[in-house]
Order: sequence, then C-alpha cells, then structure tokens
Amino acid sequence: MRVSEQSRLAARLGYLQAVTERLEQIQQQLATGKRINRASDDPAGAVVALGHRREIAFEEQIRRNLSSGISFMNATESALAGAVDVLQRARELTVQAANSTLGSENRTAIAAEIDQLINQLAQIGNTTFAGAYIFSGHKTRNPAFQVNGNPPTSVTFQGDSGERLRQVSRQDSVAVNVDGGYVFGTVFDDLITLRDRLRGSGTPEQFQESLAALDAALERMIDARAALGARVNRFEAALRYSEDVDTDLQRLRAEAEDIDLAETIVQFSTQEMAFQAVLGVLGRTTNLTLLHFLQ
Amino acid sequence: MALAIGLETAVKALRAHQLAVDIAAHNIANANTPGYSRQRVLLRPLGYDAPDTWGGGLLGRPGLGVDASDVHRVRDVFLDYQQRNAISQREQAKAQASVLERAELIFNDPSDEGLSVLLANFWNAWHDVVSDPESSAARTTLVHVTATLAGRIRRAYTNLVDQQTNLNLRVEALAGEVNAAVEEIARLNEQIKQVQLLGQPANDLRDRRDLLLDQLAGIGNISYTEEPDGTVTLTFGNVQLVSGITARTVETYSVGGMLHIRTTDDNTAVTVTGGELRGVLDARDTDFPALIGKLETFASTLITQVNAIHATGYGLDGLTGRDFFTGTGAADIDIHPDLVADPDRIGAASAPDAPGDGTVARDLANLRFASVLGGRTFEEYYANMVAILGADVNRAKGLAKSNELLTTHLETLRQSVQGVNIDEEVANLAAAQYAYQAAARVITTIDQMLDTLINRTAI
Repeated sequence: MRVSEQSRLAARLGYLQAVTERLEQIQQQLATGKRINRASDDPAGAVVALGHRREIAFEEQIRRNLSSGISFMNATESALAGAVDVLQRARELTVQAANSTLGSENRTAIAAEIDQLINQLAQIGNTTFAGAYIFSGHKTRNPAFQVNGNPPTSVTFQGDSGERLRQVSRQDSVAVNVDGGYVFGTVFDDLITLRDRLRGSGTPEQFQESLAALDAALERMIDARAALGARVNRFEAALRYSEDVDTDLQRLRAEAEDIDLAETIVQFSTQEMAFQAVLGVLGRTTNLTLLHFLQ
Repeated sequence: MALAIGLETAVKALRAHQLAVDIAAHNIANANTPGYSRQRVLLRPLGYDAPDTWGGGLLGRPGLGVDASDVHRVRDVFLDYQQRNAISQREQAKAQASVLERAELIFNDPSDEGLSVLLANFWNAWHDVVSDPESSAARTTLVHVTATLAGRIRRAYTNLVDQQTNLNLRVEALAGEVNAAVEEIARLNEQIKQVQLLGQPANDLRDRRDLLLDQLAGIGNISYTEEPDGTVTLTFGNVQLVSGITARTVETYSVGGMLHIRTTDDNTAVTVTGGELRGVLDARDTDFPALIGKLETFASTLITQVNAIHATGYGLDGLTGRDFFTGTGAADIDIHPDLVADPDRIGAASAPDAPGDGTVARDLANLRFASVLGGRTFEEYYANMVAILGADVNRAKGLAKSNELLTTHLETLRQSVQGVNIDEEVANLAAAQYAYQAAARVITTIDQMLDTLINRTAI
C-alpha cells in the first residue's frame, strides 16, 4: 500500500498515543490502588463493589452499636455488683439484728448504717452512663430513685419499664438496659421497714421476715446480673462475628475494585518497554527518506 | 519546416517537464496540509489530427510532442463517502461519551468520597441516635450528616441541570459552524464553477470543499452530489442547505429552555441521525432527563419516607408530628431548619417524655433496608443508577473507540490514494529533471543541425 507523509505521521502519533494511554491508565491504577475508579471502568464490578461497601459501612455501625451496648451493660453490671454488695451488707446486719442478745444501742447503730445503705443503694440506682440514668427505662433524664426524707421515709421510682434499644443485626434490635423498677423491686421499702424495726422493737420473726425479703431482692439482682452477663457474652460473640464478616467483605471489595499490585507492576514495566521500543523505532524510521540517498 | 517543428516539440517538452517540477514542488509544499490531494500532470502525446496538407500520408510521421495542459487531483470519492459516514458516527459517540463522562464525575462512586458514603453515614447516624437517644452529640451528628447528604444531592442535581443546559451552548456553537461551512461551500461552488468554465480543474478549491464536507459530517449526517457544473448539492440531516451557489443558513430556537436547530428561511426543524449534534442532543434530551429523573425519584422518596416515620416520633421536648426534611425533590431537599436550630426536636421516641426511647429512630435506621424504590432500597437504587450511567459511559466510549479505529483505517486508505509521499515526489522531480535536460539536448541538437544547414552549407 502507498504510504503518504500524512498517514506516516498519523500512524506514528497513533502508536505513541496508544502506548502512552495504556501507560497512563496503569499509572492511575497504581497511584490509586484501584482498578475501578469510576463506575464506567467496570459497571458490573462497580455494582458489586458498592454492595460490599454498603455492607461494610453497615457492619461497622453494627460493631459500634454492639461496643456501645457492651459498655452500657458493663456499667449496668458494675452498678448491680455494687447493689449486691450493699444488700449483702444489709443482710449481714439483719442477721446480727435477728440475734436477740443485741442491745438497743447496737440496734440504733445498725439502723443508722441501714439508712446509709438506703442512700448508697439509691445512688447506685441513679448511676448514669453518658448522661443517661441507666435504671430509668425511657425516662433517662430523671434519676431512677428519689429518696424522700432524711432519714429516708420512702423512695419513689421515677423511671419506667422502657427498653433501651441497640440494633445488633439487620433484623434484631435488643434492649441493653435492665428494668430498674423490677430489679430493685420493693428493696427500698424492705430496707426502710427493717430500719424502722431496728429503731422500734422488732421481733425475731419480723427480722426473719426482713431477711427473707432481702434474700428475694438479692436473688433478683443476682439473676439480673447473670442475665446481663449472658447478654454481654452474646454481644461480644456478635462483635467477633461482625469482625470476621468485615474481613471477608473487605477482601471481596478489594477483589472487586482494587488492583493486583504485582500484576499491575508487571503490566507497567511491559508497557514501559513497549513505549521505549516505539520511541526507538520512530527515531530510526523518521530519517528514512530518498533525499538522503540522492546527492 | 520539419526542423522548426522539432524545435516546437522540444519546447513543449520543456514546458511539460517544467510543469511536472512545479507540481512536484506544490505536492511537497502541501505534504502536511490537511485535506490536500496530491496532483498529477496528465501527459498526453500530441499527434497529427488533421489530414496531411503537405502531401504524403499520416503514416510514418512523428507526433508533435507532449501535451501537459491537464493537472488532476488523485482522490477516491467513494472513500470520501465512507469516511464521512464513519466521521458522523464517531463524533456522535464521542460527544455522548464526553458529556456522560462528566456527569459520572458528579457522583464520584465507588470511592471514599462519593454520595454512597454520605448515604451510609446518614443511616449510621440514625443508629447512634437509637443507641443514645438523649445524647445531644448523636443528634447533632445526625443533623450535620443529613445536611451534608442533602447538600450533596442538591449539588448533584444542580450540576446535572447545569451540564444539561450548558449543552445548549454547544448546540448554538454547532449551528454557527454549520452556517460558516455551508456559506463557504456555496462560495467555493461559485469559484469552482467559474474556474471550470475557464477549462481549469480547480483542484485546490475542491480540496478545501472536501475538507468542509468532512467537517460538516462531524456535526451531522450529510449527503451530497456533485453536479456537472462542478457545484455540490448538500443535504444536512433532513434539509438541503447548499444548492448551486446559494446556501441556506440555520438558526437555533428554544423549546422549553432547550435549543434546537431549524432553517432560517422557512423554519424547518433540522433533524440529524449522526454527528456531534446528534450525540449532544441525545445526551441532553434523553440521558440527562433520565438521570435527573432518577435523582428526583431518589430524593423525593427519601423525603416522603423519612418524613412519614419521623412525624410519628416525639422529640425530647415532647412534641410530635414534625417533618425531618424540607423540600419536595433533589433540587430543594434539606434538613428541617427547626431541627438544625435544636437537634433535641428530632423525633426519636415513640412516646412523649421518654428521652431514652429510640424506637422511632430505630424504624428510621431500618428504612435503609426497605425496598421502597421499585423493589430496591435507597442504596441499591443509587448503586443501580450509578452503574447504569457507568455502563452508558462505557458503551459510548467503546463505540467512540471502535468508530475511531474505523475512521483511522479509512483515513489511512484515503491517504494512501490522495496523500503526498515525499520519496515519490523526489523521484518524480528527478525524472522531470532528466527529461527536461534531454529536451534541452534536443534543442541543442536541432540548433547544431540548423547551424550545419544554414552556415556550413556553401551557396
């Protein structure tokens, strides 16, 4: 075929452009580390990548929900542990009081300590976590327990049985709080009655009655702690599972949109060699003209 | 008498080869001129074409030398025709690809900065409100994240509409280019006609006209015929714009804010099936409206769905029935200013006076997985929109590339016919030079013969 000056020039430019374009594309991939920088680079792959990104973002939030839920439950658990300590002390004192040999002076001293324990327990019941009263149900801006009178004559529960939710998976939302009204139950009234009996002339039968009431309260607290511990374990398991899911998703996302570094570097050096070859060939053929051979 | 004819023959040869040198020079000078067709001197032997008036027959008589009056250009009109069709298709695909590519940049996905990330942040921020409904930090974050998302949707919408209406400027410019080209073609028609009447070939004028036809083919599909008088009759799309030495111009007119092209004299709407104009119009009138429509559906559904649930929620102030978003679509979506002023008003609770209740916020967070957009979730709908746009860009780019290959191939073929090759011209130059020297030698020889006859022959 006849080759004209213009088509020679166009062809040379064409070779150079083709090689530089491929080189540029690989350079961009190397710089961003991504095979898909825009949807048009691979529309089907982009849908897959966006799907994985969506799942990754969701799982990340689920882990956030789980961790903050665990923190909340840990705070609740420490509070319950404190309450159990208080009740156990109250129980010890009640056992002492039930001992009929105790003098009225000692009984008054025990009554004073029970007053303190009531206040201490109310304080524990009013534990806050990130500004929210954890035993108040939905009424988290109100202290759960209001102690009336000094020494206390009654304690009112100001919360409700509302559930504090955490979304832990696509389908499930789980409550992380415990029902303060249920867990504390009549414990304040029981303690106030006990104190009144200590101040007055409580009979051994009455102290046995108080002891039974305290045991019931302790059982509720311990049960609540156990249930909470089980929930924390579930959350921790879910957290580990979500981390595994995340690892898988990250790998899938990378497979969909990231480059294979080794392969791309090999491609780059191949294209670089091609570029040098084109330049070399152009340099040698450009001077090929009849003018050099005619004097 | 015969010797004088010999001289005349030699002079004709000198002229012919001088012309050949001139043409080689012209070709070399235009070796890199776009659209130039190489020219060739048509050499024709001159014989006796009249009965012999000097007695004797025609037989055995030498001819009268060479005739070199005709210079023609080497060109394949069929290749021109093919190439112009290919150029129309290429420019259509290129225009569409470049316009859609810019639209794709607006969404910038998949990436860490795209709209999809902002959407995920929005749903995630609701989760944080579920977890800590009374926390003003979680609520404030939700307000910011929402404002960012709404802002990005509005910006995407504005950018799309801007790009769409900016295509009007391109239509306007293309109309101007069409007018300039057809007017010049009509002028060239006139010149070519005149030059042809003088018996000249008008090669360079034709080259210029062919180049303009190439250009016009890039704007829209064209058809043309060359008349016996050398003029071309040109049809652009559906309207004849050049006939003989007259050109009809086109103008733009607006339909609903979108510019179209019609003839100036009788307002016939110009429709093209190829070329940049078709690509621009397709993008402006089909691709962009579809894209803008999807973004609108996305935004308006987001507004109505979120508002419907949010209206059932109670703020920390105990009030309910509030909108979360203001606006009706992608153009004006925004977070309600009351919520910006006081994030405590966000309705996360299902009852008044329940600051720790995040039930409604939970329902909103779960809207993420609701198939409310024709069987798709918000995120799926958006991903699908981006992917379809990506596929459109990909297809247009692929089409542009394959058409580019076709035009490159045809151009190579065209150049192989009409293009100048310097080596060839140098060889022609050498041949003409030798022939010129030989013709000069003929004159010397006849001169010597005449010298012998006139000066050396004793009387």
